[in-house]
Amino acid sequence: MSVLSLASKRITSFNTPARVLISKRFESVAKPANFKTFKIYRWNPDTPEVKPKMQEYKVDMNNCGGMVLDALIKIKDEQDGTLTFRRSCREGICGSCAMNIDGRNTLACLCKIDAEKANTVKIYPLPHTHVVKDLVPDLTQFYKQYKSIQPYLQRKEYPKDGTEILQSVEDRKKLDGLYECILCACCSTSCPSYWWNAEEYMGPAVLMQAYRWMIDSRDEAFGKRKEMLQNSMSVYRCHTILNCTKTCPKGLNPGKAIAEIKKFLAAD
Amino acid sequence: MFGFKSAASRSSFLLKNNSTKNLLLKANSNSLRHFTIPFLPTLPQNPGGVKGSVNDNLPKTKIDKFHASYHWNFEKVLAVGLIPLVSMSLMNGGSISTFIDLGLSYTLLMHCYVGFQSCITDYIPKRVYGTWHNKAMYALTFGTLLSIIGIYDMNFNQKNSGSVGLTTKLWGAKSEKSEEKA
Amino acid sequence: MFMLKNPILSSIKTQRTSSRLFTTNKRLLQSPAKGQEILVKQRAVRPISPHLTIYEPQITWYLSSVHRVSGVILGALFFGVSIGYGINKLYDFGLNDDSLVEFYKNKVPTWLDYTAKGSVAYLFAFHFANGIRHLVWDMGKGFSLKGIYVGGYSVLGVCAVAGTYLFSKGF
Repeated sequence: MSVLSLASKRITSFNTPARVLISKRFESVAKPANFKTFKIYRWNPDTPEVKPKMQEYKVDMNNCGGMVLDALIKIKDEQDGTLTFRRSCREGICGSCAMNIDGRNTLACLCKIDAEKANTVKIYPLPHTHVVKDLVPDLTQFYKQYKSIQPYLQRKEYPKDGTEILQSVEDRKKLDGLYECILCACCSTSCPSYWWNAEEYMGPAVLMQAYRWMIDSRDEAFGKRKEMLQNSMSVYRCHTILNCTKTCPKGLNPGKAIAEIKKFLAAD
Repeated sequence: MFGFKSAASRSSFLLKNNSTKNLLLKANSNSLRHFTIPFLPTLPQNPGGVKGSVNDNLPKTKIDKFHASYHWNFEKVLAVGLIPLVSMSLMNGGSISTFIDLGLSYTLLMHCYVGFQSCITDYIPKRVYGTWHNKAMYALTFGTLLSIIGIYDMNFNQKNSGSVGLTTKLWGAKSEKSEEKA
Repeated sequence: MFMLKNPILSSIKTQRTSSRLFTTNKRLLQSPAKGQEILVKQRAVRPISPHLTIYEPQITWYLSSVHRVSGVILGALFFGVSIGYGINKLYDFGLNDDSLVEFYKNKVPTWLDYTAKGSVAYLFAFHFANGIRHLVWDMGKGFSLKGIYVGGYSVLGVCAVAGTYLFSKGF
C-alpha cells in the first residue's frame, strides 16, 4: 500500500461517526477536565467611559492546543466572540500576536501554556501602549519611527547590467542576528525608557534596524544615518537596561546593537 | 514623586465636545494615565502619542552632538576616571593629598552634573514640560556653580580637610544623641 | 465620498444597494479629513496599557532602577553638602568640618545614623560595582543573556560584601 493511500485512508477513517464516538467517549471517561484560568485585559472603544478591566475565562486544557494563542482563539471561538487580538501566522514569523503574558512581552503563538506553573495566566496588551481595543495596541508611532530611519538600501550607483549588488560572505554574516527581526515591538514596549519617551526615543527594535543598515556593506548612507541619531533623544535615552534583550521572542540582541551604534557615534 | 494626569485631560484641547470630555475625565481618570510630576504644569500632548495622520513623517531631528555623543563620551571619561580616584581614597583609608582630593571632588561633581542632566532629559522632557525643562537645567547648573565654590573651600580653608576628609570624619562620628538620653 | 467615485465600486453599489457595508462606510468615509478627525478623537480616549505594575520583576530593569536611584541619592547628598559649603563661603554661617561633625554627633538620632550610613554604604558599593558593569557594556561586551545575569548577580554579591564592610567601618 502506498503512502498516499495510507494517508487518505486515515483521513477517511477519522471522519467516520464510529471514530468520533470513540474519541468522545474516551475524553469523557479517561480524562477529567483540566481547567486553566485566563485573565485577560478588556477595553472597548465603543464604551470608552467604561474602565479597562480583567476578564476571566476558563479553558479545558484537554481539548486545547499547547500555546497561549490556541487558548485565545478557543476563547474567541467558543466563549466570547468580542475578545479582540491580532494574530496571523501562528508560528512566530509575522509578529502580530505580541502581548504581555504573565508579565513578560512575547508572542502568544510561541508562548507555551505552562502546565506546572500557577493555574492563572494573565494577559495584557504590550505595556504602556495606547490600546485600540482589548489586546490590540496602537503601533502607529512605532511604525513611523521605523520609517524615519530609512530602512532601505541607499547608494549612488547600482550595477549597470541590473544584477544584484555583491557582498562578501563575511559582510553578509554581519547581518545575522539583525535581519531576523520581525518588528513585533516586544522589545521596545518592554523598555522603561521607551515607556516614558516613546514620542522621541526610537526604542530598541527600531535602533537595531538602524544598526542593521549602518553595517550593511552595500549601503553608502552611513554618514547620514549617524547624523539622524546625533541628538539627545533618538539613541541616548537608552540606559542599557536590557529588558529588550531579555524579552526578544526571536532571541535577538537589540541591547548590543544599540551599544554598537553608541560606539559608532562616539567616534563620529 | 510622580502624580497622575489623564491623557484625556492632556489632549482635551482637541476634544471640542465638552460633555464627551467630562464624561471621559470622570470615568477614565484612573486608566488613562501618564506619569507626570504633580507640581509642574504640562503642555497639551498629541492624542494617543501620535502626531498627524498615519502617513505623516516624524519631524526631522537636528544634529546636536553636545547633547548626544559628546555628552555620552564625557560621561564615560568621568566614570572611568573615577575608578582609580575612588579606589585610591578608599584604600588609603581616607588620607589622600589635597591635590587628589580636589581631582576626585571635581570629577565626582561633573559626574553628578551629567548624571542629573540625563535624569532631567528622561523625566522632565521639553516635549511635556516646555520651559520647565530649561528651568531645571539652569537650577542644576546654578547648584553646580555653588558646589564648585564649596569644594574649593572644603580643600583650601584651613578648618576643612576636603570632601574625602569630611566623609572620613563623618563616617567615624557616631551619633551620641540617644546615649545622652539613656 | 471618495470611495464611491471608483466606477467598479459604484457598480457594485448599484447591484447591492442593501449591503450594510456600504451604508456604514458612506457615513464614516466621507473624506480623508473626516476620517482623520474621527481617528484623532478615538486616539484621545484610548487608555494606556499597564506597565510598571504588571511587568515581571527581572534583574535587568530592577538593577537598572537601583543604579539610577542610588546615583540620585548619593549625588543629592554630595550636592547638598558641597552647596552648603559654597553658600557658607559667600555668606558665612559658621559651617566647617568640625561644626558639621559636632552637629552629626549631637543632633542626629541613632536610628538616622544607622539608616544613613547603611544606605550610603550599600548604595555606594552597588553604584560603584554596577558602574563598572555598565562600562563593560559600553565597550560592547557582555551582552549575552548569560553575561547579563552573571554580571547582575556578581554586582549584588560585591554590593553585599563591600557594603557590609563599609557599614561596619562606620561604628
